[in-house]
Amino acid sequence: MRNRVREQRLQKEMSQAELAAALGVSRQTVISIETGRYLPSLPLAFKIARLFDLTVDKMFDPEEEPCA
Amino acid sequence: MMRFISPRLRAPLWRALAGLVLAGAWAIGGGQGQWLAIVIAVVSLGYGVAWYVWAGQDTDEAALLGSRADERQKLVGQKARALAGIFALAGAYAGLVITLAVKRGDAWPFALMLLVTGLGYLFGLSSYASGEPDAENDADAGQQARSPVSS
Repeated sequence: MRNRVREQRLQKEMSQAELAAALGVSRQTVISIETGRYLPSLPLAFKIARLFDLTVDKMFDPEEEPCA
Repeated sequence: MMRFISPRLRAPLWRALAGLVLAGAWAIGGGQGQWLAIVIAVVSLGYGVAWYVWAGQDTDEAALLGSRADERQKLVGQKARALAGIFALAGAYAGLVITLAVKRGDAWPFALMLLVTGLGYLFGLSSYASGEPDAENDADAGQQARSPVSS
């Protein structure tokens, strides 16, 4: 699953700690989401998407294999 | 009462209290080595203080210790607990096998541990495995039966 969290955060000139505070999660969780090591729950995914004025499907893209 | 105690203080307070109860039980037991009760009490208090200090750090472990874990950290904690359960089960089984081979009369605590962990697992399954998909199917079936379209 690819996501645009890091890209959006940098665009808004936010630090990981600031984003974590805005989402009510830890800085480590923001890092895990950005690196793709953790998939957030649906409520947290909506919270992230709303924070950056995007829809969830724009924020999180499933990395699909190209059809053969 | 717990609402008046800060989340960071709750876990270490319980741990220290549990240690003090253990020390009290040791002291009540009497006999030689009663001074060990004081050692247990001091170690328990030190453990509580160390827990509180560690919980102040900016790590996943500290967040769990300080009762302020977010959803990912709670998941980490659940996985760690599950692993601890597997270790306890394996330890109890190994203890049971060894004790049965050496001195059968002392095997019951290990058998009890196996029983308790097994029952705990079954209780967890009955508590967390919901029957919601079945309920939804029933609702669908009822709707289909009431539908004027279906003949």
